[in-house]
Amino acid sequence: MIRKLLVATSLASLCLVSNAMAQETINMWVRTGIGTAFTSLADAYNASHENQIALTEVPFAELVQKYATAIAGGQAPDALSLDLIYTPAFAAAGQLQDLTEWAKGLEYFDSLSPSHVALGTYEDKVYGLPLLVETSVLAWNKGLYEQAGLDPEKAPANWDEVEANAEAIRALGGDNYGFYFSGGSCGGCMIFTFTPLVWASGVDILSEDGQTATLDTPQMRAAVDKYRSMVEKDLVPEGSATDNGVNFLSFTNGKIGHQSLGAFAIGTLVNDYPDIDFGVTLIPGIEGGTSSFAGGDNIVVTKDTPRLAAVQEFIEFAYSPEGQKILAQNGSLPTRSDIAAQTLEGLDPRLQVAVDAIGVAKTPYTLLFNDLINSANGPWATFTNAAIYGDDVDGAFATAQSEMQSIIDNAP
Amino acid sequence: MSMTIATPLAAAEKPRRRARKNRQWQGLLYIAPAIILVTIFFVIPVLFTVWMSFHNWPLLGQPSWIGLDNYIRMFSDTRFAAALSFTAYYTVIATIAIFALAFPLALFVQNERRGVSVYRTIFFLPVVVGLATASLLWVWLANVDSGLFSPILRAFGVTGRSANLLATFNNAFPTIIVMVVWKIVGFTMIILLTGLQSIPSDLIEAARIDGASRWQRFRFLTLPLMRRTLALALILSVTGSVLAFDQFYIMTSGGPQNRMISVVYYIFNQSFVSFQLGYGSALSIVLLGILVALSVVQLWLLRVGDDK
Repeated sequence: MIRKLLVATSLASLCLVSNAMAQETINMWVRTGIGTAFTSLADAYNASHENQIALTEVPFAELVQKYATAIAGGQAPDALSLDLIYTPAFAAAGQLQDLTEWAKGLEYFDSLSPSHVALGTYEDKVYGLPLLVETSVLAWNKGLYEQAGLDPEKAPANWDEVEANAEAIRALGGDNYGFYFSGGSCGGCMIFTFTPLVWASGVDILSEDGQTATLDTPQMRAAVDKYRSMVEKDLVPEGSATDNGVNFLSFTNGKIGHQSLGAFAIGTLVNDYPDIDFGVTLIPGIEGGTSSFAGGDNIVVTKDTPRLAAVQEFIEFAYSPEGQKILAQNGSLPTRSDIAAQTLEGLDPRLQVAVDAIGVAKTPYTLLFNDLINSANGPWATFTNAAIYGDDVDGAFATAQSEMQSIIDNAP
Repeated sequence: MSMTIATPLAAAEKPRRRARKNRQWQGLLYIAPAIILVTIFFVIPVLFTVWMSFHNWPLLGQPSWIGLDNYIRMFSDTRFAAALSFTAYYTVIATIAIFALAFPLALFVQNERRGVSVYRTIFFLPVVVGLATASLLWVWLANVDSGLFSPILRAFGVTGRSANLLATFNNAFPTIIVMVVWKIVGFTMIILLTGLQSIPSDLIEAARIDGASRWQRFRFLTLPLMRRTLALALILSVTGSVLAFDQFYIMTSGGPQNRMISVVYYIFNQSFVSFQLGYGSALSIVLLGILVALSVVQLWLLRVGDDK
């Protein structure tokens, strides 16, 4: 519908504008359900610019196949909004436009979301730039805190406090549970919400160059133990064990004490669930500190597109104070830290926590993200389920560690 | 043979031969649409898959010729071995379960009597639901919070607290088997029913008069005469099980802990998750070979070619 509207508006403006020859229409693909943050930005751009942008929504699972086919058939879009974790794989395949010179010429280049830029960079060249930014944070339900006799304004500072408070909330009985996570082999959910526990302590599941699996660390074991303990104490709903991400927003049912969520969920909670009084804080590390996962989308440009200048104009609009404001109003965090305060002025103050998370956030850099992390049958997804819900924790560590390494070693 | 006799004979033979030749061409014409369809939608894709299997064929980027490497790689691929062994296990259990129920059901609805068509309809009804739809339905039925099974099991004291039926292999596998039996048994029952109904009733009658017991009539008349039907039902059931994918993908995403990855699921993962279309093609060709071999063995075991 949105696409049709956009195409219609683009066509209408094409006819109206007298110097139609100079005007260009950028054809851009986005994943289905990209949300109003981006579509509002595109609408605002079309309303204020001679060049126009037409969006085509492509189902997330088919995006890579369709893009590959389109390239082969010479029908590729000018630009693509791509989950940032896939940028390295696309850049490596040699299909993306090198944006290095222009990007580094932007005066605010250094204040763009560092994780996005890092993932958009392949062999020292910039192929992708931040478009939508979100981070993971820990939310707690203030209403349940009050019912359980806890201080609703005091955020849990570490995982022992989370567990103790979760027990108090579970003690309320009924369907009230202390904690929730999507534990049914949802690799994406768990890398987003669970790895910050170990990142905060300075360890990671992959070495910096992405060539060695470093899953089995004392910190990861401690993090697994903490989740196991909460499961064993019945603080987590039974459905978590098979939740492949469908119920990722379980917190919105108002009966979950704590859950690590994305910044977009803050927007959803504020707009759609005004009855739930909640607080957000940075995700504590298992041994202290805080961390977060920086997720979202990069914008990438198809190699040798004739409309490069128009795409660059659109990106600059997205980074303008006006563009940043439109994105933030719709739940996407500011991509520019230098004007973040100005961007967030007058918006829900809890968004600020998600913005602060950008400073401590990480994103694993690997060409094998799908194989290693995201796939429901990949080693990471399987590991999180087996280690937290299975009977053999040591076995889960050993299997995942060796399978990750074998996937890395056998990569073409 | 002398020429004087041969010539008139040959003269009479000629138009007959021409007519036969004509008929043969006609026959070919009749099956031409089928041949064209099979060529376009089966033969060419299979040949292309064979061609792809000799390449490193990424989804993005250029394919490169690697000869037999994809096939050699399979021998050391432990995940493929695990998928094969799980598929074999599933095929045996599912086929036994389906036949164990379908045969009695077919006998039950064989004879015309009051309400029999209602029973046939009830047993056949799940067949018309797509497997993916049925799987989704069962995901809901087995859901621990909002499903139907969990409260029933708790009410009967089978489980203490609400049980998440899809969380462990020991619960999830039987759940999927029950779903598949519910979904497929009506189809197998109908095939067996047509076999039962094609047995001439006078044969059974004659055996009865000769004093054959109910078991003897079943063992020495019904079963042997059902051989072709049984072979058809068995091959369809085994082929379906070996190609199983939807139920594992939808109900457990191959879990818990990857213990339910069938061969087709593994091919899907290699091709569209790891984007290794070449290896996926090689695995598909091997699976095709396995299916052909399995079907030949089943036909041979049931000696379908022998009965004249």
